[in-house]
Amino acid sequence: MAAVEVRDLRKRYGSFLALDGVSLTAQTGQLVTLLGPSGCGKSTTLRCLAGFLDPDGGSISIDGSDILGVPANRRGFGVVFQNYALFPHMTVAGNIGYGLKLQKRPKTEMAERIADAMRLVRLQGLEDRYPRQISGGQQQRVALARALVLRPRLLLLDEPLANLDARLRDEVRWLIRDVQQESGITAFYVTHDQSEAMAMSDMVAVMKEGRVAQFATPREIYQKPVERYVADFTGEANFLSCTRVAPVAGGYDIEVAGAHLRVAGVPGIRDRAELLLRPEALSIAPDTGQALFQGRVEKLAFLGASQHCEVRLPDGGALKLAVQANRPVGVGDQAGIRIDSEHAWLMPEVRQ
Amino acid sequence: MTRGARLRLLLALPAVALIFVFMVLPITNMVEMSFRTLGTTAPFGDSYTTGHYSRILSDGYYWQVLLRSLVTALLVTLLCLLVSYPIAWHMSKAHGFKAVMLYALIASPLMTGVLVRNFGWMIVTALNGPLNETLLGLGIIERPLRLLFTQGLVVLALVHVFVPFMVLPINNALRNIPPALVEASSSMGANRWQAFRDVILPLSFPGIYPGVILVFVLSIAAYVTPALLGGQMVSYMPTLIVAELNGTFRWPLGSALAIVLAVVTLICVAAFTLLTAKLMEKSRA
Amino acid sequence: MTDQTNTFGNRRVMAPAFGLLIVLLYVFLLAPLVTIVGASFTGGLLMRFPPEGLSLQWYREFFARQDLVDGLLMSLRIGTVTAVVTTAVAIMAGLAGQVISGRWSGWFQIGMTLPLLVPELLTAIGLLFFLYKIELGKSVIGLQIGHILMSFPYAYVSIVAALRQVPVSLEEASASLGASGWQTFRLVILPLVMPGVAMGGIFAFINSFDLYTVSLLLKPLGGNTLPLALFDFLTYEFKPTAAAAATISILLSILGVALVQRLVGLQRAF
Repeated sequence: MAAVEVRDLRKRYGSFLALDGVSLTAQTGQLVTLLGPSGCGKSTTLRCLAGFLDPDGGSISIDGSDILGVPANRRGFGVVFQNYALFPHMTVAGNIGYGLKLQKRPKTEMAERIADAMRLVRLQGLEDRYPRQISGGQQQRVALARALVLRPRLLLLDEPLANLDARLRDEVRWLIRDVQQESGITAFYVTHDQSEAMAMSDMVAVMKEGRVAQFATPREIYQKPVERYVADFTGEANFLSCTRVAPVAGGYDIEVAGAHLRVAGVPGIRDRAELLLRPEALSIAPDTGQALFQGRVEKLAFLGASQHCEVRLPDGGALKLAVQANRPVGVGDQAGIRIDSEHAWLMPEVRQ
Repeated sequence: MTRGARLRLLLALPAVALIFVFMVLPITNMVEMSFRTLGTTAPFGDSYTTGHYSRILSDGYYWQVLLRSLVTALLVTLLCLLVSYPIAWHMSKAHGFKAVMLYALIASPLMTGVLVRNFGWMIVTALNGPLNETLLGLGIIERPLRLLFTQGLVVLALVHVFVPFMVLPINNALRNIPPALVEASSSMGANRWQAFRDVILPLSFPGIYPGVILVFVLSIAAYVTPALLGGQMVSYMPTLIVAELNGTFRWPLGSALAIVLAVVTLICVAAFTLLTAKLMEKSRA
Repeated sequence: MTDQTNTFGNRRVMAPAFGLLIVLLYVFLLAPLVTIVGASFTGGLLMRFPPEGLSLQWYREFFARQDLVDGLLMSLRIGTVTAVVTTAVAIMAGLAGQVISGRWSGWFQIGMTLPLLVPELLTAIGLLFFLYKIELGKSVIGLQIGHILMSFPYAYVSIVAALRQVPVSLEEASASLGASGWQTFRLVILPLVMPGVAMGGIFAFINSFDLYTVSLLLKPLGGNTLPLALFDFLTYEFKPTAAAAATISILLSILGVALVQRLVGLQRAF
C-alpha cells in the first residue's frame, strides 16, 4: 500500500492557470477527496496523479519515490472515469480482465481474479454482457472492478457517481467506500458534491482556482472552515458581519447584529470578521427573552421532515434555518432566534 | 399517419421518379440487353441468347482482365487504408483553425475531378518531371523511371483519387472514440501499441468498413484512370466495357461484361461484410 | 488537451517520425494539384514543373481554343441546370422523407442515394441504352438527365442534414400561430436550411462539372464537356494549355470548398 505526497503541483494552459501550487498528502489506506466546482483544478490534479497529464512543476511521490517520470501505463494505479470509459467492444469479463491479459497471466488465474473482482462489486452473472447491455449502476461497478482487479497501489476516482441517478448514487457510494476500506487501498476521489465528500472521506481538500483552500477532515472542513468559500461549498451557511472583534483566550468576543457573544474561530483574526452560523445551529426561541436576534419571517417552505425558514434581521442581514415540521410559524411573524454558540465559528471577512 | 403527412409524401414523387425511371429501369434494362444477340446494323439484335456469358466465362482473356481489375482494386483498397489511417488519425486530433485547414486539404482534392487529378500525375511522373528529378537529385535512382502507362501508376493514381473517401469516415469514427478509453487502457498497463491494437483499431472499424467498401467498389469500376494512365496495351474491365459500347458497338457483350463485374463486386462486398460482421457488431458502441 | 498527455511516455521519439510521415502523405495528396497549377503558368513550351519562367500565355491559348472553351461553357451550363434542378427536387424529397418513419426511412435514404452507391459506369451504361430506347440518345437533354441523376444524392444528403437541424417543434409552433404548410416552409424552414441548400447546390454543381464516365457515354454528337475535351486534348497534344484548363477546374473546387466552409463549416459537411 502507499502513502502519497503531492507537493506544489503547477499546470498552465496558455493563459489559464489550472494548478497553482497544489499540495496534498494521503496516508496508506486513506480516502482523500478533492472537492470543488468545475474548473477548480481537481480533475487536473487527479489526471497528473494518473499520469495522463504532465504538470509544469512540483512533485508527486509514492512511499518516498518520485513518479512523475513514470508513464501512466507503468504506474500501476487503478482509475475509475466519470463516464466509466468501459471498452464497448469487450464483454464485462473482457473489460475486467483486460489488464490481466496484458500481463499475460495464466488462464486459470485470470478467471479466478475476474470472478473475485465481480463478486466484490456484486456483479456475478453478467460476465458475457456488453457494456451497452447493462444499466448505468452496473457499468459503474464494472469500472470499479476493472480498476481494482490489478491490485493497484492507488485508486483514482474521477466523479464516479456523476452520471447516476440519486438512488443508485447512494448505493454505489457505499459500495465504493466499503470496497476501499476492505482492501485498505489508498484512494483519491474527485467530486463537486459536498455530501459525497463528507460521507466518504478521511480527508477533504477543498479546491479553489487551482489551489487547495483547505485540507482537513470532513468534520473540520464543515465546522471550522478557514474561509467563507469553504463554508459555502460544504453546506448551507449563514454569514453575519461583525461590528466589533476582540481576541480573548480560546476565541473572540464579538458584536454582531446588535448582540454580544463569545465564539471560537480561525486564529489570528484582527479586525474584520464574519460569523458562520450553520442552519442547525439556529432555532426559533419559544419566547423572545431567550432570543439573541429578533427578526421577521420572510419565507417559509414545508419540506416534509422540516420547514425551511428565512428570517430578515432589522439591520438588513438574513438567516436561513430549519424549523420543526409542525411548529406553527407564518410569513410575517416576528420571531426570536436562539443560537448554539458551540456551533458558531468566526472567520476573517474577505473583501469581494 | 395524418392526412397532412400523407400529402407531404407526395413531395417525394419527382425524386422517386428520377431515380426509378432513369436508374432502376435502365439498369434492369441492361440485364435484358445482356441476353440480346449481337446486331449487324444496330448495336444489338432482336433475339435472345446466353451466349455472351458463356463466351466471357470460357475465354481466358476475360478472366485475365477481370483478375487484373480485382487485384488492382484490392491493392488500391489496402494502400488507401494504409495511407488514410495516419491522415485520419492526425486529422481527428486537430481542433479549431487547424482542423478546418486539414478538412480543406482533404476536401479540395475530393472536389477536384478525377481527370484533373490523374492528369497531375502525368506531369509529376514524366521522364523529366519533378518526381524523377527529385529521386535523381537524392541519388536514389541513376536514370529516370518510366512510370507513365504502367500498372503501378494506375494503382498510385487510384489511391490518390480515393484517399479522401477513406479518410473522412475513419476520421469521424476516430473522433467518436472517447479519449478516456485510451487513458483507461494505459492505466491498466497498455503501452501505445497495445492501446492502438486493442482499443482504437477495433473501435474505428465503423469508419474503416464504409471506407473499404466505398473505395473497393469505386476503384474496381473506375474508368478514367486506367484509360488515361494505363496506356493502350493493358485492359481493365471498365476500359474493356467502354470499348465494347463506344468502339465496337457490341452493346449486349458490354452489358454482360458489366454485369459480371457487378456480380463479382457484390460477392466481394458480401464476403467482406460477412467476415467482419462480428467485429462490426461489437464495435458499434 | 490530448497533445499534453504523457500517457505513454517517450513522446519525443515518436512524434517527429509520425510528423514526417504525415507531411509526406499530405505532399502525396497535393502534389498533382500543385504541379498542374505550377505548370499552367510556365513561360516555356513544354508541360514542366517547376515552370520555366512565369507567363499567362497558356491561359490565352486556352481561351483561343474553340473546342476547350465550348467544353467549358457546356460544363458550366449543364452544372448550373443540375444544381438548380437537384436542389429543388432534393428539398421536396427531404421534406417528404421527414414523415417516413422506422424501417421505411432507411430504405428511402438508400433509394435516394442510389446513384452514389452504384458505380458510375453501371448507371452510365444503363442510361445509354435507355436514352437510346426513348430516342434521347446522344442528346443534350439526355446528358443533362445523366448529370442530374448522378448529382442528386449530393444535394439530397446536404439538404437532409440541414433539415434534421430544424426541430419539429418549430413547425408545430408555426402551425399553432396560424401558418399554412407553405407559409411555414417559406418563412420558417427555408430560411433555416438555406445554407444546407446552397451547399447541396455547390456539391451538385461541382460533381456535375467533374463527371467523366457518364458524359463519355451520353455525350451528344459534337458536344463535349470540359473533362471530355480535356481528355481528348491530353491524348493528342500534351501542352500546358491542358494545365491551364485543369487549373480553372481546381480553382472552381477550391472556391466550392471555401463557400462550404463559410456556409456550414467543413467539419459538418464531410
